[in-house]
Amino acid sequence: MKTLCVAVLLAGCAAAPLAAQIRITGLDGLSSKAKASVDITLDSSMLHMAAGFLGGDGKDKDAAKLKDLLSGLKAITVRTFEFKEDGQYRLEDLDPIRAQLRGPGWNKIISANEDGELAEIYTRTEQGKVNGFAIISAEPKELAVVAIEGSIDLSDLSKLKALGVPSIPIPQQNKNRNKKGKEE
Amino acid sequence: MNLDDELKSALRREDPPAGFAQRVTARAQSRPARNPGMLRMIWAAGIAAMLVIGVTSVSQYRQVQGERAAQEAVTALRIAADKLNMTRDKVLKLEN
Repeated sequence: MKTLCVAVLLAGCAAAPLAAQIRITGLDGLSSKAKASVDITLDSSMLHMAAGFLGGDGKDKDAAKLKDLLSGLKAITVRTFEFKEDGQYRLEDLDPIRAQLRGPGWNKIISANEDGELAEIYTRTEQGKVNGFAIISAEPKELAVVAIEGSIDLSDLSKLKALGVPSIPIPQQNKNRNKKGKEE
Repeated sequence: MNLDDELKSALRREDPPAGFAQRVTARAQSRPARNPGMLRMIWAAGIAAMLVIGVTSVSQYRQVQGERAAQEAVTALRIAADKLNMTRDKVLKLEN
C-alpha cells in the first residue's frame, strides 16, 4: 500500500509540470479552411538540437542571440491560420486555450479587443521570473496562437525582428512537413 | 523386355572403373586450402563497411533533423516576435 501511495505521489509530481504546459487544442479543424497555416511544435530536445545549428562558432552575432534566446526555452508551439474570407473561425474556438491560461500562475498582461479583433498576451511567472508566455491574436482573416515554455525575455523577443534571422537551407523533401502554404 | 527388366538393367550395381578412388583423392588433395585469415579479413571489411554506412546515415539524419528544427525554431520565434510587437502596437493605438 505504501509503495502504491509513493508511486501515486511520484506520478503526480511528474505530471505537475506537464499540466502546466499549454496545449493548443480545438483548432485542428481550421487547417482545412485556411489558405495558409503554420504548425510548429518543438520540445526541449528539438530546441536543444536546433540551438546546435545556430551560431555555433560565435562569429554570427545575430545567430548567437537567437541561440541565447532558445537556450532558456523548453517548448515552443505555434499555430497560425490565414483565411481567404472572414468568419472561418469563432472566438469560442479559442476557449479551451484561454481556459488553460486562466489557470494558476498565468497572468493576462495585455488585452486588446476592438472591432472583432482580439489580442492577448499572457505570462506565467515563477519566483519572479517569466517562465511561460502565450499570445493569442485573432483577426477576421488571421488567427495565431503562440505558446512558449521556459524563461524568456520579452524585450529580447520583441527585438528579434530587427535581427538578421539566418536562413538555413532545408532539404526539399522535408521542407513542408509542418507547413501548409507559404508563411509570409 | 518389360518395365521391371528395364529398371533392373538400368539400376544394376556396377563397380567404379579402376583407379577411381585414387583419382578422387588426388583431385581433392590438389585443391588449394582456404586461408582462414583471408576469410576473417573479408568478414571484418564487410562489417566495417556496414558500420561506416550506418554511422554516415545516422549522422546525415541528425543533420537534416537539426537543420529542420533550427529553421522551425527561427520561424516560431519570428512569428512570436511579430505577434508580440503587433499586439503591443494595437494596445498603444487604443490608448492614444
